[in-house]
Amino acid sequence: MSSAAAFSSASLPQDVAAAPPMPDVLPPVKPKKGFFGFLRRNPTIAIGGGLLLLMLCIAVFAPLLWTVDPTALAPARRTREPSAMYWFGTDMLGRDVYSRVLYGARISLMVGFSVAFCSSIIGLTIGMISGYVRWADSIIMRIMDGMMSIPPILLAIALMALTRGSVQNVILAITVAEIPRVSRLVRGVVLSLREQPYVDAAVAAGTRTPRIILRHILPNTLAPITVQATYVCAAAMITEAILSFIGAGTPPIIPSWGNIMAEGRALWQVKPYIVFFPAIFLSITVLAVNLLGDGLRDALDPRMAKRV
Amino acid sequence: MFAYVVRRVLATIPVMAIVALFVFSLLYIAPGDPAAVIAGDQATPQDVERIRASLGLDRPFLVRFGEWVWNILRGDMGVSIFTNLPVTTMIQQRIEPTLSLMILTLCLAVSIAVPMGVVAAWKQGSWIDRAVMGFAVLGFSVPVFVVGYVLAYIFALELDWLPVQGYTKFEEGFFPWLENLILPAIALGGVYIALIARITRATMLEVLQQDYIRTARAKGAGQTSILFLHALKNAAVPIVTVIGIGIALLIGGAVVTESVFAIPGLGRLTVDAILRRDYPVIQGVVLLFSFVYVLVNLLIDLLYTLFDPRIRY
Repeated sequence: MSSAAAFSSASLPQDVAAAPPMPDVLPPVKPKKGFFGFLRRNPTIAIGGGLLLLMLCIAVFAPLLWTVDPTALAPARRTREPSAMYWFGTDMLGRDVYSRVLYGARISLMVGFSVAFCSSIIGLTIGMISGYVRWADSIIMRIMDGMMSIPPILLAIALMALTRGSVQNVILAITVAEIPRVSRLVRGVVLSLREQPYVDAAVAAGTRTPRIILRHILPNTLAPITVQATYVCAAAMITEAILSFIGAGTPPIIPSWGNIMAEGRALWQVKPYIVFFPAIFLSITVLAVNLLGDGLRDALDPRMAKRV
Repeated sequence: MFAYVVRRVLATIPVMAIVALFVFSLLYIAPGDPAAVIAGDQATPQDVERIRASLGLDRPFLVRFGEWVWNILRGDMGVSIFTNLPVTTMIQQRIEPTLSLMILTLCLAVSIAVPMGVVAAWKQGSWIDRAVMGFAVLGFSVPVFVVGYVLAYIFALELDWLPVQGYTKFEEGFFPWLENLILPAIALGGVYIALIARITRATMLEVLQQDYIRTARAKGAGQTSILFLHALKNAAVPIVTVIGIGIALLIGGAVVTESVFAIPGLGRLTVDAILRRDYPVIQGVVLLFSFVYVLVNLLIDLLYTLFDPRIRY
């Protein structure tokens, strides 16, 4: 009896069957392909994206969803509690809160998407210049540091104080407040990409700088900037609501969630539903965008996912 | 070390200069001509010109900027257009509630969020971890005024445990003060707690994989001492950094929270100033908040050695 056999029979209890021999190569686990496979593997994206899509549909099809004119006044039936007739009740001017909340989705989503898009484009440009043009870098970054040391909501408030309230100005003000963060992110990514061997290889092969930026740098910044854009979108929707809530945002005539809450504020102790319905919609929408962002972060950049 | 401190302090000067330039431009390009407003309706163009010259409004941009900065360094932030009071006086009158709110929120948030993050990292993947991470996502998503109204509705209106609105000065007693501020502080702290808990968890996860944690376990250190003495100490720098950066969230949130809970602080002052287009007041508040923000982060930078003696300058 060899010592190895003695060892194995001694260490294994009699009633435990020996494990079947392992195959040399494990059978390949086939990840489900296609769009639905991707959603199966990333439930956060599915939930976030689904909720956001629902809000988008509500915004687009608001006129078809049994709404009435959101600005129609009817003092005779003001501050009605929610009922079968007025699903979310009516406000102090008799306007239908349900219709106003549904139309309000348009403003929030428009501001969120516009700010995310504009600040990404501008931030990408500034970050690229900063990461590639040495002498401009220190100047740009000092300016960005200065802008970043003003809390973003205050910066947006200060800018709104200069202009008349309109949706465009709100978008502009929030975009300016968000640009420094996006620029810093892009600059950081560009600086680390410039050190990559494949960029060195491209330089050695005689590729011109614009082509390197277009073919090698830009595509690699898209993943982090997409993730950042979703967070910017969420922040922008909250900032818009805050600006409107304190009276420095979209003009009161436009039914935005912040405006509806601002109007409900005076009555909220007796008629809390005027404040709560837009609040719930706003929270769900921001939650959807944040979930989408978290999901995209995990899916697009596994290294970043581990860190936070 | 000393050289580093000097360098770091000097580095904040350009940042503050950019902030000052931005805030000054705000008044410079603001619509409305102060000279015309002061001169009144019956004034002739000559009168307006004369007033403009007497106010020094006809001088070049940089000269006026220099003078404005000089005045601020001497503690003169101008006069409110609306109340005719000096801006510094108005800020002094309103600073206590805001300071109280922010300090209470800071203490509350840190003492809740750090243990939350530590436990989540310790029990990674468990239901506690999922609950903390879920709370963090919610904290980022539910705006501060929504939390504020929900809390006020439940605890002030329905249960009638706490006052709905208002502010009591600290000198009138700790508990009346706390009673008024606890709901605003929780509402304001939501995002902040989410932020700190997330970064604590992430840093702790990294630290808990280090060799010295295994060594501590091997020599028989208790779980609490490992988590809070060995690991948290080594995770302190990123956590403290985020606490500093997150103060921007507190400042922005304070403006709204004070509106919801009718607290007569700097946030209310800002909102009133916006509605009346009182530019000197807006300037003063933005400048003050930015200055505090930069200062706090500078202090945190300089205190890194306290948290991590390995850092040498």
